[in-house]
Amino acid sequence: MSEGLPKEELEKIKPDKVVDARGVSCPGPLLAAKRAITEIPIDGVLEVLSSDPGTARDLPKWAKKVGHEFLGVIEEPGYWRIFMRRKK
Amino acid sequence: MPEKMVLVIFSGTPDRLLGAAVLTSGAVAMDMEVDIYLMLWGVYAFLKKNLEKNKELSEHKELAEELEKGLKNAGLKPWYEMLKEAKELGTVRIHVCSAAAKAWNAKLEDIYLADDFVGAAEIVSTAKEAEIAFFI
Repeated sequence: MSEGLPKEELEKIKPDKVVDARGVSCPGPLLAAKRAITEIPIDGVLEVLSSDPGTARDLPKWAKKVGHEFLGVIEEPGYWRIFMRRKK
Repeated sequence: MPEKMVLVIFSGTPDRLLGAAVLTSGAVAMDMEVDIYLMLWGVYAFLKKNLEKNKELSEHKELAEELEKGLKNAGLKPWYEMLKEAKELGTVRIHVCSAAAKAWNAKLEDIYLADDFVGAAEIVSTAKEAEIAFFI
């Protein structure tokens, strides 16, 4: 789906905040991520849980566009765990 | 200078307005500024008194009930709530065609989330300067 760290590396990450946006379609999770990333410190990690396939593709693009570091995605049954690091 | 998206909303049906709200949310998430220009039926749909009762679709009218259930199952908010959330999160300006407002005998405070009245020249010139412009 998207480039990023291998699953084993991602699983070791202790996120500063987890947003559970499962059951919400695009663009809800995207806006939730935009809001949540301001609530963690710079260099902190945000994890977004989303069951929306559009969001799993959108969030890496969003992170890169707005200047955060996309770390990777873990695909779980029925949802995705998307990791990013706040950079600004 | 931030990138800008312009939406000219001429239509007033909730299916088209949902598309406008989704695009606005996406642009806000991408740190773009959004200028929305309401024209005839767009102004009508944004009248506060019409927000919730405006349910007629532009296409496949027979599917209105099915669509409403489907959108609810998908966790999607109504277009007007989605737009309000986007406006709270980023820079979204909602401008109203003054002629259309006059046609509906509407004051600025009668129109949902409206910021100001504009004329046609401003709509065209802002759209010309924007990175993206849509007519809905």
